[in-house]
Amino acid sequence: MLGKLLKYDLKYGSRFFILLHGILLAACILGRLLFFERLDFDAGSDIIAPYIILATSLYVLLFTAVSLGTAALLAVRFYRNLFTDEGYLSWTLPATPVEQLWAKLFSGTIWYILDILILALSLVILLSGSNLTAAYAKVAPEITEALGMPLGRYGTMLLVFTLLSSFSGTVTIYVCISIGQLFPSHRVLCAILTYFITSAVIQIVVLGLMVIFNLFPGPYINDAATETDTVQYLFTTLKLSGVINFVLTIVEYFATRYIFIRKLNLT
Amino acid sequence: MPWDLDNNRPIYLQLMERIQQDIIAGVYSPGSKLPSVRDLALEASVNPNTMQKALSELERSGLVYSQRTSGRFITEDKTMLKKIKRNLASEHIRQFFEKMTLLGYNREEILELIQEALKEE
Amino acid sequence: MKPILECQGLTKKYGNIYALSNLSLTLERGQIVGLLGLNGSGKTTLIKLINGLITSTAGQVLINGMLPGADTKKLVSYLPERSYLNDHMKVEEILSYFSDFYENFNVVHARAMLSDLDIDTHARLRTLSKGTKEKVQLVLVMSRDAELFILDEPIGGVDPAARDYILQTILTNYNENATILLSTHLITDIENMLDRVLFIQKGQLVLNATVDEIRTAKRESVDSLFREVFKC
Repeated sequence: MLGKLLKYDLKYGSRFFILLHGILLAACILGRLLFFERLDFDAGSDIIAPYIILATSLYVLLFTAVSLGTAALLAVRFYRNLFTDEGYLSWTLPATPVEQLWAKLFSGTIWYILDILILALSLVILLSGSNLTAAYAKVAPEITEALGMPLGRYGTMLLVFTLLSSFSGTVTIYVCISIGQLFPSHRVLCAILTYFITSAVIQIVVLGLMVIFNLFPGPYINDAATETDTVQYLFTTLKLSGVINFVLTIVEYFATRYIFIRKLNLT
Repeated sequence: MPWDLDNNRPIYLQLMERIQQDIIAGVYSPGSKLPSVRDLALEASVNPNTMQKALSELERSGLVYSQRTSGRFITEDKTMLKKIKRNLASEHIRQFFEKMTLLGYNREEILELIQEALKEE
Repeated sequence: MKPILECQGLTKKYGNIYALSNLSLTLERGQIVGLLGLNGSGKTTLIKLINGLITSTAGQVLINGMLPGADTKKLVSYLPERSYLNDHMKVEEILSYFSDFYENFNVVHARAMLSDLDIDTHARLRTLSKGTKEKVQLVLVMSRDAELFILDEPIGGVDPAARDYILQTILTNYNENATILLSTHLITDIENMLDRVLFIQKGQLVLNATVDEIRTAKRESVDSLFREVFKC
């Protein structure tokens, strides 16, 4: 049953997903051929800097849009399929609420992981031109020293961390929508509010924990911070937020599960 | 075409009457097989259970009989059919007389009226 | 054999309003049952509870002795009063969707009915008229070899010709072991089809009798009794 549900969940969004990421890849290939490969890094930095800043901003915007598009795909599929008229069919299939939930979790995580991998790939496509790598080679030792490790390893670690968070990202979207449906007259609004309220609460908790664990990057605590310390600091916070995320994901999973089993009320 | 049924009398009774009528009118000949409950129910646009009840009642009256596997048949007992036909005719006549009496005619006048009507035909 | 449907003290509250209050009911197999009541009387609430689309405030509903869940959903074929199919799907895709999920879905039967109705299975749902969509949904629901059919207002918004077809379809597909629970406020059209009627008023069951019982005892049609009971 889980497999069947999953099959239809993946089938549903595939067209939109492929279109979205097709545009991204095309934009990155074009960007590399038409822009990045033509950059002359021997020219003065004040000449090329404005162009690089402009291009970088545009691509950051594009990457954000694609990530948001993927998140929207998950959210819309989840909401439409379970809490609108379509829910009348979904919930009368011979599947248990937990199977329904896991089908959505798996499909969501799969979309998320694919999204992250494609984003990483497009970044590589965009920035692996020979002139860029040559230019980078000149500054590589500095960056390696600043990061405490080569850029490649740093990037891979970030990628792994992001992949790990794909599941929790999916659960977060789902729990917000599920809580939203507890308020029949304002489902969508309450889902969005839930998202902002929980994010705010989490920010505060993280901040609190950072103070408690003496991690807060204030002038009093980290007076003698060096660059390697900064990286160290970055990874400690990553670990910390990883732990918090893990706990949070479990809480959110059980909250969604509880709503599915006990509080389902289709209008 | 759904059968024309009254709204205020039990449905199974009306189904019985209708089938009885059809048998006497020769729609189904003596000894022949009746359509299945489902087909009759569909034809009449009624619930199969109600049709089933009507047929069981007809069976009890002896007008139809069932053979275990092959279905329901109209009785071959011609005297019985004749008797039922006769009963039905008497019932119509009784009702006719009732209505005419309500209009204020006595028996002789009714007879006269009938004879006149026959001549006009 | 356990009754196909059993409600015990079933109660559903929305805020302070009782949509159903303490409703108890047992339905045996092999009958066509009309669920009659005015709009807002609790018909749809009862139907949603049986299908596990909402959770009860108190009491319970049992289908073949089981609480609503994956196992009861195999037994129940449900036609909601709204369109629950994804508009982007082709009829053909919906057929395979139903075949995939419901073991008792008879796809040959469904295809035969669709071709009777001249519905092109390669058409996307969104290109079909509202009436045609409703027919597709009815065909899907009636093509399951289910034990309990729940049809919420199946003849509500359709034209008379379609109504006749729908009623014929229900009768044709009805089998002796199944129970059909059919909610409507158009009684005259379906009165002859019903074994039993349930009158539901303000979330409570006010009458549970067979059509012929009502006609024998009251010498009137269910329709006129309905008008009496629910007089404004």
